[in-house]
Amino acid sequence: MEVLYTSKFYTLYQAGHERCFYLDLGQKTIRLSFCQFLALRHKVMSISIESHFDSDLNEHGFEMLILCNKEHFFILNTLEVLDLKCLIDHSFSLIEMDAENVFTQ
Amino acid sequence: MKDIIRQQMSITASSMDVLNQQIQMESKASASYLAMASWCDQNAFGNSALFFYAQAEEERSHMMKIFKFINDSGGNAISPEVTDINHDFSSLEEVFVTALEQEIEVTKAINGIVANAKKTDDYAVENFMQWFIEEQLEEERSIRDILDLFELMGRDGIALKLIDERIKTE
Ligand SMILES: [Fe+2]
Ligand SMILES: [Fe+2]
Repeated sequence: MEVLYTSKFYTLYQAGHERCFYLDLGQKTIRLSFCQFLALRHKVMSISIESHFDSDLNEHGFEMLILCNKEHFFILNTLEVLDLKCLIDHSFSLIEMDAENVFTQ
Repeated sequence: MKDIIRQQMSITASSMDVLNQQIQMESKASASYLAMASWCDQNAFGNSALFFYAQAEEERSHMMKIFKFINDSGGNAISPEVTDINHDFSSLEEVFVTALEQEIEVTKAINGIVANAKKTDDYAVENFMQWFIEEQLEEERSIRDILDLFELMGRDGIALKLIDERIKTE
């Protein structure tokens, strides 16, 4: 298992032999199949961070995250959401850059 | 075994994102054509109504084509939410002008997907989108042909009736 990216609060691992990912969210580490990882990416990317700064839209600035077909449930505050967005963003660009390098090496 | 993402997905994540946006757009186009069909039906433009019902189904088939493509490539297709469908038109001509504007927006979006695919060397997506490029040319042309009828025949009551009769329903 290798570390793909470590953000301020979280760490994403890639387990090549299992073809899956592990995400350490502090309170617990969850296993994500590739599809579940894509679903997580979609959920995190769709969170409107603007709503966290508008008390009419998101009164307390919390986000509920339900993952892996409702197996896991997390509550994140604004900073944690930003951090998670950053982690997802970075891991995908790292991996895709890696894939491109195959041709240039 | 480094690149799990590449092993499981044959398109890039950025292609997947823009294709998911396109699903949204095709689905909205379909719903919007249904609203136009409804308006035409209510205003006794029978052929125009049939034309828009057929367009609505076509847009849905475009959406499904992209939806299947994303999933077949190992990606995650997202079922779209559609809101804000306009049902208000002041004339038959306005309905067709709106339809043309909508098609032009779709064409731009499709060009954007191809541009993005080129930029990221995603040849599978570039190739897949070729069909859509031709389809858009066809769709823009068929609506432009209808708009020409308004120039030709005018906009009074009888002319509108005649225009409606000339609209090909299949
Ligand atoms: Fe379409
Ligand atoms: Fe169309």
